[in-house]
Amino acid sequence: MISTTFSTILRAPLRRLARCAAGLFCAGSAWLAGPALAHKPSDAYLQIDIDGPRVTQRLDIALRDLERELALDADGNGSLTWGEVRSQWPRIQALADDGVRLQPDAAGACRAAAPAMPQLDEHSDGRYAVLVREWQCATPGAGWQLDYRLFAGTDPTHRGVLQWRDGRAQGAAAVPVVLVPGAAPYRLGSHASAAAGTSLLAFVVEGVHHILIGTDHILFLLALLLPAVLVRGASAARPTASGRRAWVGATWQPGGSAALRLALPAPVLQRWAASLAAAATAPWQPAPALAPALWQVARVVTAFTVAHSITLALAMLGVLNPPSRWIESLIAASVVLAALNNLVPLIDAGRWRFTFAFGLVHGFGFAAVMNDLGLSGRGLAGPLFTFNLGVELGQLAIVAVFVPLVWALRRHRFYVAGVLRGGSALIALLALAWLVERAFDLKLLPGG
Amino acid sequence: MSHALRAFSVRLAMTRRTAVLVWAAGMLACLPLVAWAAPFVPANDAEVVETLPARLDPAARAARDAWRRQPEALPLALQAARTAISRARRDGDPRELGQAQAALAPWWALPSPPPAVRLLRATVRQSQHDFESALADLDALLADAGVPAAVLAQAGLTRASVLRVQGRYGEAAAACADLATPRLAVLGPVLRWSAQVCEADVMTLGPAAPAGHARLAELARQAQSERALVPLRGWIALVQAEAADRRGDPAARGHFLAALQDDADVYTLAAYADWLLQHERAAEVEPLLAGRAEADALLLRQAIAWRRLGDGRATAAAARLQARFDAAHQRGDRLHEREEAMFAWQVRGDAAAALPLARANWDKQREPADARLLWHTALAAGDRDAAELVRRFQQQTGLRDVRLADPTQPTRVARRP
Repeated sequence: MISTTFSTILRAPLRRLARCAAGLFCAGSAWLAGPALAHKPSDAYLQIDIDGPRVTQRLDIALRDLERELALDADGNGSLTWGEVRSQWPRIQALADDGVRLQPDAAGACRAAAPAMPQLDEHSDGRYAVLVREWQCATPGAGWQLDYRLFAGTDPTHRGVLQWRDGRAQGAAAVPVVLVPGAAPYRLGSHASAAAGTSLLAFVVEGVHHILIGTDHILFLLALLLPAVLVRGASAARPTASGRRAWVGATWQPGGSAALRLALPAPVLQRWAASLAAAATAPWQPAPALAPALWQVARVVTAFTVAHSITLALAMLGVLNPPSRWIESLIAASVVLAALNNLVPLIDAGRWRFTFAFGLVHGFGFAAVMNDLGLSGRGLAGPLFTFNLGVELGQLAIVAVFVPLVWALRRHRFYVAGVLRGGSALIALLALAWLVERAFDLKLLPGG
Repeated sequence: MSHALRAFSVRLAMTRRTAVLVWAAGMLACLPLVAWAAPFVPANDAEVVETLPARLDPAARAARDAWRRQPEALPLALQAARTAISRARRDGDPRELGQAQAALAPWWALPSPPPAVRLLRATVRQSQHDFESALADLDALLADAGVPAAVLAQAGLTRASVLRVQGRYGEAAAACADLATPRLAVLGPVLRWSAQVCEADVMTLGPAAPAGHARLAELARQAQSERALVPLRGWIALVQAEAADRRGDPAARGHFLAALQDDADVYTLAAYADWLLQHERAAEVEPLLAGRAEADALLLRQAIAWRRLGDGRATAAAARLQARFDAAHQRGDRLHEREEAMFAWQVRGDAAAALPLARANWDKQREPADARLLWHTALAAGDRDAAELVRRFQQQTGLRDVRLADPTQPTRVARRP
């Protein structure tokens, strides 16, 4: 058999023989490199959504694969029409039902609804048949078994790409699971689900990672913490009555701005202006005691944490969804303001309030990251909590390194001039560049 | 570096930002391709929903059905696997390799399957870049006295090709020479000539390149008259084209065209498209690839050509390629590093992203094309160490290529600002 095939080399037509004769006699790297680089292999996409008693499964199978398996192209002209696909839909459905079996732990508890209407969808390598099934389960079990056998007998290189979500128990596979046809059943469910466990841990890591690589969040925190180990000089800490009157008199003459006076009661404005005036003239001094400095740090960090947790949750639950360009611009603006405040005092005593206000903005920024991880909507409490936990851990790590350092440095003369003023000026400049980039969609800085 | 290449690098740097913007815009425009888009119901039954240029013909289907009825019958399984492998080569569809593997399933996992199965298993495995397993199978076949001559010859040729792809030129040359063994003389003159082409090809990669060029030219001349050499004409032309390309000989074009006339498979089309792109002939790529550009490797060349020409279709092609790379990553494949590196560098204009891919590819494949890719992405990304890898490889093997540096000169890499 083999040698006769080989001998046909001499007699057969000449085309296609040299590099590969009848699939037997092939030579040259042309033959080697060909197949692997030309096409995407066969994949099917499986999406399973467990929402209380209702379970939905969507399976996308390439028409190309279905044609190979079921010979859908009835007239054999190389063009598959919708009519040809639709008329064979029961066979397609049978193939899908046979290839993908989702079984609840509680046997017999589920009632299948009729399969959904035939539909198609577009993937990167062509059109796919979309098969949607739905079950109503009276007593949903703790978990599910998924037996994936699609094309097990005809293409061992086929893969199923699974994304699943369990809304009731907040279990989810954060990254798609690759299913090998004919391998051991995959378990999905809330309890004892290794996938859910690892993915939750992965969110902690994501949170830590995000805060540690998020230069804007770090600089915002650092700008706020730089002055925490200092106090304003004693001579100006309590402004004199005459000083206050002089300053207020210069700016806020009655009748100067009716709108402002209406919006903010005069005493508040006056107190704010006075504290600013005092701060502007008072020199920085090293904080004499650790406890008040740590109290400052704690207030700032807590305000930031509470604020960004609120907006992160709001954004992930779909309550608020502001445009990311505004958010990114506002985050940059918050860094500019926090740094400028160390040069030209704008807010002094109430730094935690400022932190809280802008912390709200940073929370939306974290939400964008979680969206990028492919998560939103229901079943999020677990990932949301653990991601935030990661952010807080990363933040604590930064504080734990930074605060002792500046505490030790605070008495050096260069701390105020070099670290506080110089550092703040640098941060403000960098953040200003981000602000311009993000607000006007420009590119000023290298990298990124 | 040649002037043309330097000019190309400068142009690449200047257009990099634009390329990144265009790429990002394309990503957004084609988001539905990547994500779970909303399914739809076509308007009517007559609507064409998919074209199937590579559908199974009735004979192939009949052969497959025969195998399915008797999956344990070795001759039927071998026939099904062989036809699947030859379709894989023609159309470049890896799922055909899966079909071949399925046909051989009863024997696939055996430590020592029948020789014909073992040969096909090695063929499938090397196509999936599992070179070490493939070589183990091929070595076992060559060491087995009971293997039929035709299987033995194919195993020897495939082994030479795998070693060549891995950059093991000395061993590849020995594998070619081994084909001249008296044991294979029964196969007649075609095999004898094949061994010669094989040897001459490997010679052009090393210090004996001039002698290799001369032998190839002589073989090509003999192929005009010698009947046993006629089936090898296309292969000789392809080998000549690649050798001429390495020494900057414009005759490469004619050799590529001759090879294409013999067999316009994906590999030859991609190699000629690369030659056109490197010789400022981007406009010729579209007519060359007309109707074939669905294969990833060819779509990539088409996208590069369109981008060079400022053709708006580059954006959609880039988005499509990106979606396919993403899909391959999703299923856990790492077979496309060569194409992905080319894509990052020449379509997205992002040498920094291309370099790690080119390096990962270099760990597996070391053809001259892989050396060029690593060398140029290393230069573009300002990575001296990566460029050194290529120079050391050239020093070890004697590989000379006009698009690589002279390995006797120290590597000069401009640091990027």
